Amino acid sequence: MARGSSQSQQSTSTASSTARPGLAAPRGSAAATAGMRRRRLGGGGSVSSGGGSAAGSGSSNMLRFYTDEAPGLKISPTVVLIMSLCFIGFVTALHVFGKLYLHKSGSQA
Amino acid sequence: MGGGFRVLHLVRPFLAFLPEVQSADRKVPFREKVIYTVISLFIFLVCSQLPLYGIHSTTGADPFYWMRVILASNRGTVMELGITPIVTSGLVMQLLAGSKIIEVDNNVREDRALLNGAQKLLGILIAIGEAVAYVLSGMYGPVGQLGVGNAILIILQLFFAGIIVICLDELLQKGYGLGSGISLFIATNICESIIWKAFSPTTINTGRGAEFEGAVIALFHMLITKSNKVAALRQAFYRQNLPNVTNLLATVLIFLIVIYFQGFRVVLPVRSKNARGQQGSYPIKLFYTSNMPIILQSALVSNLYFISQLLYRKFSGNFFVNLLGQWKESEYSGQSIPVSGLAYLITAPASFSDMAAHPFHALFYIVFMLTACALFSKTWIEVSGSSARDVAKQLKEQQMVMPGHRESNLQKELNRYIPTAAAFGGVCIGALTVLADFMGAIGSGTGILLAVTIIYQYFETFEKEKASELGFFGF
Repeated sequence: MARGSSQSQQSTSTASSTARPGLAAPRGSAAATAGMRRRRLGGGGSVSSGGGSAAGSGSSNMLRFYTDEAPGLKISPTVVLIMSLCFIGFVTALHVFGKLYLHKSGSQA
Repeated sequence: MGGGFRVLHLVRPFLAFLPEVQSADRKVPFREKVIYTVISLFIFLVCSQLPLYGIHSTTGADPFYWMRVILASNRGTVMELGITPIVTSGLVMQLLAGSKIIEVDNNVREDRALLNGAQKLLGILIAIGEAVAYVLSGMYGPVGQLGVGNAILIILQLFFAGIIVICLDELLQKGYGLGSGISLFIATNICESIIWKAFSPTTINTGRGAEFEGAVIALFHMLITKSNKVAALRQAFYRQNLPNVTNLLATVLIFLIVIYFQGFRVVLPVRSKNARGQQGSYPIKLFYTSNMPIILQSALVSNLYFISQLLYRKFSGNFFVNLLGQWKESEYSGQSIPVSGLAYLITAPASFSDMAAHPFHALFYIVFMLTACALFSKTWIEVSGSSARDVAKQLKEQQMVMPGHRESNLQKELNRYIPTAAAFGGVCIGALTVLADFMGAIGSGTGILLAVTIIYQYFETFEKEKASELGFFGF
């Protein structure tokens, strides 16, 4: 469910619905439906996939929090992974230094 | 609304500081997704083994032991909080938005961004709050003994771990990984405990000589060392206090049953109104709400336990407090267990023999589980926007109709199936949980059910990914 792909699918589906003669909705509402579609989880272009994902949406709705774009401190996925590894390293280092320090102070006392 | 004060706007100043994973600007290949998922999982696993620096002791009653399984947390480690902050903030926000206490217009981009920001901010705040509460309540030893420096260090570690979990979850959801971080972490935690209980090589002395903790290892150990093979088999299958082979078999059986039930569904045929010949189907699963009823039910129960335990410690003589629950420390694990009152009634009986000894308790427990699951399931479809009305709206937007029915009839037609599926599915999930608990499945009924449903969802995602890019699947 890559973001880019689902967006491109959505854009094609909206394009097709607005391009259809007789059914062309006013511009504003078309944008609104596009928004609604984007909101839908994993919204595929074809019905069967859309239905499939919607059937599971009862649970995944809650477990799917941050799927939307939001302004904020942008970080790339690699940075996240490196950050976590650094954190793990840092805590390990704390343990090691803690042991060393305790050992030293224990021998002094 | 109308230009008035809106709660959501309070979040705006903080938006710039919240960490945010970039969306993938291209389609991430399947293999890369697997790699990202595996690395995230690895980080999570390391974090849930790495002890916190600066803690004194983790002895004493663990007030959250019943929540550990579903919250993917491990005592005394960096993952002490697990996914609690995310899940709590998510639940709170969903409920606030669902009950229209805060108004969110899902069509407005900014609103969605603000809601997401609010959720994340709340998650971080909860992480800090819980970290402070844990340290101050003396879970890691008295604060005076820890020293201020260590106390601050512990809070910082927990806080960072919270941020990392949030980032990892977001990373997986933004399309770099498979599924969602939360469910991945829950499932991993449960599977880990099952594997551990089956193959754990640690020995424990229970008075009958040293025994292996792991059920399978203990089975072979006893078969080899004991001269009386029948007695050895019996002990391996029925030993108390330690995982035995029956528990393991029960776990496997529950796994199979749940997977079998996952396939039950009603398929409604739908047809496109515009594109001729474009046929589709809309499946309504028996487990329409999947594992949500048990998540909500266990959230309710754990909150009740928490309140009852707190009250019992403060005013143990009070009649109403005793009615809510009386607690006793178990001699094996040092955990408090409810011995009477409401808290006792909604706890699963330990075994079949216990059930026979206290039939009223067993009956109350079963009725409570089934009713709670059915009600939560029905409520959840309304809150989460998967009720008949919402589905009808969705289908209408996609210009889909059901052949043989008028468009206005769509909702009525869906209404015949969806609430029933939700309620009945909830009851089934509840019944399976009860069954798992009675058979003594490893890791509690709730845990097993969560794990299986999550794994099944992952399986489906895998299949879908595989189908969408057949060429890349060479893993």
